[in-house]
Amino acid sequence: MSTFKENKNVSDRSGSDRQRHKEKIDKAIKEGIHDIVADESIIGQDGKKKIKIPVKGIKEYRFVYGDNENKKNVGSAEGQDIHRGQKVGQRGKGSPAKPNKAGNEKGEEYYEVEITLDELSAYLFDHFKLPNMEKKKFKNISSKSFKRSGYRNEGIRPRLDKKETIKKKIKRKKKAIKNSTYDPENEERFGFHHDDLRYRFIKEKKKPTSNAAIFFIMDVSGSMTKQKKFLARSFFFLLYHFIRSKYENTEHCFISHDTSAAEVNEDDFFAKGSTGGTLVSTGLDKCLDVIDTRYHPDTWNIYTFQCSDGDNWPEDNDGAVKSARRLASLSQFFGYCEIEPREGRGAWLQMSTLSEIFGPLVKDNFKIAEIRNKDDVWLAFQRFFGGFNE
Amino acid sequence: MSDWSIKDLEEWDDRIIELAKTHDLDWFPISYEICDYYAMIGNMAYHGMPLHYRHWSYGKSFERTHQMYNLGAEGLPYELIINSDPSIAYLMRENPFYLQLLIMCHCVGHSDFFKNNLTFAKTRPENVIQRFKNAKKRIDSYIEDPSIGIEKVERVLDCAHALSMNISPSCKDYVPHQSRRKDLIKRIKSGDASVKDRNPDIFPIEDEIDILAFVGEMALNLEDWERDIIEIVRQESMYFMPQIRTKIMNEGWASFWHYRLMHNLDLPQKYHIPFLKSHNQVVRPHLGRINPYHLGFYLFNKIEERYGLEECFIAREVCHDESFLRQYLTKEDCYELNLFSYSLYKRDYVINEVSDDDGWKEVKSSLIKQVGSNSIPKIIIKELKPNNVLRIHHEHDGRDLELGYAEKVVDYITTLWGGVVRLDTVIEHEPFEI
Repeated sequence: MSTFKENKNVSDRSGSDRQRHKEKIDKAIKEGIHDIVADESIIGQDGKKKIKIPVKGIKEYRFVYGDNENKKNVGSAEGQDIHRGQKVGQRGKGSPAKPNKAGNEKGEEYYEVEITLDELSAYLFDHFKLPNMEKKKFKNISSKSFKRSGYRNEGIRPRLDKKETIKKKIKRKKKAIKNSTYDPENEERFGFHHDDLRYRFIKEKKKPTSNAAIFFIMDVSGSMTKQKKFLARSFFFLLYHFIRSKYENTEHCFISHDTSAAEVNEDDFFAKGSTGGTLVSTGLDKCLDVIDTRYHPDTWNIYTFQCSDGDNWPEDNDGAVKSARRLASLSQFFGYCEIEPREGRGAWLQMSTLSEIFGPLVKDNFKIAEIRNKDDVWLAFQRFFGGFNE
Repeated sequence: MSDWSIKDLEEWDDRIIELAKTHDLDWFPISYEICDYYAMIGNMAYHGMPLHYRHWSYGKSFERTHQMYNLGAEGLPYELIINSDPSIAYLMRENPFYLQLLIMCHCVGHSDFFKNNLTFAKTRPENVIQRFKNAKKRIDSYIEDPSIGIEKVERVLDCAHALSMNISPSCKDYVPHQSRRKDLIKRIKSGDASVKDRNPDIFPIEDEIDILAFVGEMALNLEDWERDIIEIVRQESMYFMPQIRTKIMNEGWASFWHYRLMHNLDLPQKYHIPFLKSHNQVVRPHLGRINPYHLGFYLFNKIEERYGLEECFIAREVCHDESFLRQYLTKEDCYELNLFSYSLYKRDYVINEVSDDDGWKEVKSSLIKQVGSNSIPKIIIKELKPNNVLRIHHEHDGRDLELGYAEKVVDYITTLWGGVVRLDTVIEHEPFEI
């Protein structure tokens, strides 16, 4: 005779193991997040939108057989017409067989983690800051921080502090006993009172910091291929979010150029393409123009970032260096990213790439980074903002 | 709203029991627990054990099943039963009545298999619940011990889990090498000619496949609690190994019997079609894969057809998947199931062999290589060298190890061993050492 038992137990038995697993994933996200920063799906999204990012699962390693020619898998194909040499699947798209349950086969596991770009930024830019920020005359920028500051009787539910609340109740009970208004027979009726509720109070602290103007200069000439533009945009997008998430009220100025330069709005900057030759100096001069008219270096911290593939018309090189030097002297920091420079090209065309002609300008506040592929975007970022301990 | 009550289940359970007995099935009493899907996923994460020690990997397992369930990618398995006496089985509250009956019949088949198949002879189902409870208690106490704590416990568990499949597949008892050494010395002294050239100071005394046990015995710097954790993991593996080795038979036998019992239960007509639908769903072939329910169900039916029901009972007693297929899977079966083998060639999966006159033997032998413990690479401890260097060897059978994984596992062994560990294997026809 079998027995039947209704399980009314509501305890969540795997709760603590899930928590540990989550902690491990969180750690993995923090360590591996730069792998995904240049992902197409992220570029161009706004900060509040939730995006799904794949996070590699925490693997459980065992001795397993590799998936290769000498490992034969067997499957059934009832009612199907099959023959030797027939292709039945492709690597990466999954073999016909799913990874075995016994854990004896290798399988890449991914978890989809939903995260907003702002949260992502918080993970990403934790340790980064704009270099050489100085206090300038006017103070209209602030960096925000939140600080716990005591308790209040009012608040939102997630900030309810259970311990403080129960303390308050106990106090009230003690008082009631002392005043002989407490009825021990009627413990149930001594419930929580609205006044017992204690909420953690969070104070917003505004820390005034100096004004900053950020210049984004992008080469959109014909030599900038789709791929190059994508890399440049990835970098700028990251930069834009970094600044937005860390600094309030900074001014942004977007400049795109081919043989002539124009100040454009954010949408055009991230979306628009163009064709034509390249006069880098025009972009730099435009930037100088804007600084002269709107952002005096006495009052503004100026940051300039330029992306280009390094191609410039040779007769413009002298002008470009001159402008870059002046710009560097006005800026707290000048970062130049060269996108996909081709090795040796300069030599046989007897042309120098920008990074070569900018070479002599490099110092503490003038840095050059090369971006050859998606992974380099993050490296460039680290180079510019990851402290100066290279 | 469910279409059944516990009273219904009890009533029909009586009929199932009566019917199964007339068919000479002999199983442990079954204790059914009714739970919702969420608790079901929780139980699945811990292999159905009512109590189990904690480790993050079970949380991961839960999340995975839960995610798949929510995505609708995978229904929950209809049944979850553990090899204990009495057997504990779970019924999902959300299941309709006919499905509960099908599961109950299926569980009778499993429990009969647990009780009678020789592979399970050493699993001690009468006290397994207690053993798992005890293991949990010990691990909890290490986690709570302020001088140990969860991080250290997890580290040892991570290592031991990585090696959990590297035990004796037939669950042979481990004889400590120190006592084998004493034995060997005795034999040498008594003038036993077969061992006269052996040096009793070279470990292991014989090649050792039970890596966990060997490390637990011979590693120099492990603390008692660490050795205990290693042994807990090893014991659990020994308990589950028979299930890994009989997956096809076990599911086949249970399906064979649920089909038969359900047919003879005089089910109300309205349950009949849904029952057949569910049954077909469970035992359908999976294109390009082996569905153990399908293959096992198919073969038991063939055995009955060819040799009579008596032979099925013999197979259920003495076989495991490997011997089962070796003995009973015929050319005609391979052909009918249209079995084929394939492997990764460059970037594509390409069919190597199909089940025709020339190919079926090859396909059959590839199939046997992928079932039960044959899917686990054989790793053997060969030699303990001076300076605590441990040399282990992969017995290469044509299949290469996944290197990235092997390297990690060697790291894990190194951690436990506390000395250098060297693994030799063959990669792309060349000797390779990690």
